Formats: sequence, C-alpha cells, structure tokens
Amino acid sequence: MTPETLFMIANPLALMGWLALAIAPLAPRLIDLFAGWVLPGILSLGYAVLMLVHFADAPGGFQTLADVQALFTDADVALAGWVHYLAFDLFIGAWILRDARREGFAHWVVLPILPFVFLVGPAGFVAYLTLKLLRRGIPSPDTEARHG
Amino acid sequence: MDDARMGFPPAIPRARGTRIAADPMLLRIGVAVILSLLLTLPALLLDGRMLQGENVWVKPIKFQIALAIYLVTLAVFASLLPKDAAITRRLRWIGLALTLGTLAELLWVGGSAMFATASHYNPHPVMSAIYLSMGGVATVLILGSLMMGLSFWSARDNHLPEALRLSLALGLILTFVLTLPAAGTLAALPGHFIGTPVTGAVVPIMGWSREVGDLRVAHFLAMHALHAVPLIGVAAMGLSNPALARGLVWAGALGYAALTAFAFVQALAGQPAF
Repeated sequence: MTPETLFMIANPLALMGWLALAIAPLAPRLIDLFAGWVLPGILSLGYAVLMLVHFADAPGGFQTLADVQALFTDADVALAGWVHYLAFDLFIGAWILRDARREGFAHWVVLPILPFVFLVGPAGFVAYLTLKLLRRGIPSPDTEARHG
Repeated sequence: MDDARMGFPPAIPRARGTRIAADPMLLRIGVAVILSLLLTLPALLLDGRMLQGENVWVKPIKFQIALAIYLVTLAVFASLLPKDAAITRRLRWIGLALTLGTLAELLWVGGSAMFATASHYNPHPVMSAIYLSMGGVATVLILGSLMMGLSFWSARDNHLPEALRLSLALGLILTFVLTLPAAGTLAALPGHFIGTPVTGAVVPIMGWSREVGDLRVAHFLAMHALHAVPLIGVAAMGLSNPALARGLVWAGALGYAALTAFAFVQALAGQPAF
C-alpha cells in the first residue's frame, strides 16, 4: 500500500474519534473506550509498523534540525509522523474530556477547546490547562462546595 | 426451592482438572508474544525488503510463533506441578528468566529485520558479538524446560498419573539435552546448510533444504521433545499395567531421542531429511 492510501485511511479514523468525542455525553463510557483507547491504540500500532518498515532506510535522524527535516522528506516516515500526531492528539482529547468530567465542567464549556486540540494539539492543551487553572484560582461558590 | 427437594443430586463443584489451567506469568508472556504479531504481520505485508530470498519479517514471525508455542506449553505444564512453596518459587524464577530471554530474542530478531540485516551468521563484528551473547540467552530459554522437567522428575507424590508425570519429566529434560548440541552445532557452523549445491529447493513453511543437509530439522525435533514425549505419556495412561506404561514412556523417549540424533547425523552427512 502506498503512503497516500494509508494517509487516506488514517485521517477518517481519527476524525471518527473526534466526532465521537464531540457527542461524548450521549455515551460517555463507550465513547471514551472507543475514542480514548481503541482508536489511539490502532493508530499507534500503525505508527509502530510504519517505523519498523521504513525508519531504517530513511535519510536524516534526530541529532540536528536539518536531520529531522531530512527525515521528513521520506514520505513513509512523514506519514508515520502524521499518524503519531493523530494518535496522541486524540488520546489527549479524550483525556481532557475525562478530566473535565472529574472537574465538573459542563460539556459545552470544553467542547470549543476540542477543535484546537484536533488541529493545533498543544495549543488546545494549553487552552484546557488555562481553563483548569482559572477554575482552581478563582473558585465559584459552586466549586468551593465541591472541593470543600 | 433448593435442588435436594426437587430431587436433583446436590450440585458438584466443578473439578479443578476439567479446565486447562496455566501459570499466569508464563501465559502472559506467551500471549504478549502472540500479540506482537500485530506488529510483524502488517510489516510483512507492507515491507518489500528481502533478505536471503525471503521477506525480512518472515524470520521474526517464525520466532514469535515458536516462542509463543514454547511459552504457552510451559505455562500449561507448570499448572500440573504440585503447588508447594519450593516449586512456586522455582516457577517464578523460570517465568522471570523466560520473560527476559524472550524479550531479548524478539528485540534482536525484530531489530535485525527492521534494519534488513541478518540476525544469524552476520559477519559484522557487532552483530556477531550479539549473536554470540544471544546463544547465552537461548540457553537460558531452554534451561526453563530443564528446570521444569527436573521438577516433574522429583515430584513423585504428584496427583498426576505416573505415566504422564514421567513423560513430562523426560520430554522437558530431553528438550534441553537434545537442543543444546543441535543448536550449539548450528551456531558453531557458518550456516544451517551442509553440502552443495544449494539451489533453493525447500520444504514449504519450514524452509528446510530438500537437497543438502539442514541442521534445523534436528533443532526442530529436539525442541519438540516436550510435546512428543508427553503425547506418548497420554497414550500410555490407557494401559492398566503401570510397569508397562512406564516402559512405554521410557521406550518412546529413547526412540524420540534416537530419531533426533539420526536427523542430526543425517544433516551433518549432508543428506536432506525430505
């Protein structure tokens, strides 16, 4: 299979996970299992297989920025890198929803953050951390009751 | 309304022996090896690189299957041992040693496939040094069989039928005793084929030569003593005369050892087994 074909398989897989996360309150446990564990697991397995098959013959390496740039000129390794993003971003997205439920956030409060985690992963993570810190730093009467 | 008043005999708790049990540690590592096929089977389909005429992932997959069969077999056999403290402690050591040995083997064979280089008979100094140390790891792996075989040998007050106990002891011990020289000779020689010409005629799946001597036949038979001899033991359980049953197991074990020795000598003489 060409890297282009695999790319076309991996993207919809991740997208399914994100759509499921968006409607997570409908079936929190099932969707968490599917989008938080199964899909990231499948994508990670795909990443591992791609690296086993293609990493040894790829140019470049991890020593310098130029090495890393050279590494990603290989289509198969670039695909592996992309699948790495898809897997870990989705895992973080599901973790955010789990943590938000523990914190007592309403789903609609976290929902606007999810697209950021999907598209610009770390920026979305920072947005969630900010939300969490604000909640802790400036407690409302409601959360004060919860945290004692 | 309880069963007795309904006229049913009281429920009998399910006998322990009706279900196949297994040592959890050995079973877990065995299942982990089977799960690792999720990496190598897709790699086999995606990878176009060849080494010595076959896909680079064929060899790791053969190792995974062989190790999984070995580990699951030992896991099941372990559950047949008496559960005293000494044996439990010994099984823990066997489980730990086999776990580490299995990981080392798979990392070595899988890593070699990743870099499309030969894991065995590689002339590169670093690779041949690793190969040498992997001989030690392989010895540890078959020591697990010897340790378990000796446990069955000394477990005379076992609940097992005597023919089965003896066959387990002999099979497991033979696996070690026969594999050590077969695999040791394989490792000492420059390759597994003995003789010429090698044009590529092989037995399907197993890959044994059909034109020259191939020491891997003896290695295969040696490893599977732990399956073959206990099968004879199971057959011997049907005999009502205990002395006859013991005799059959001993004869079967000696016959199997002779067969393996024959395959070994045949390969050394450059003759194909098939």
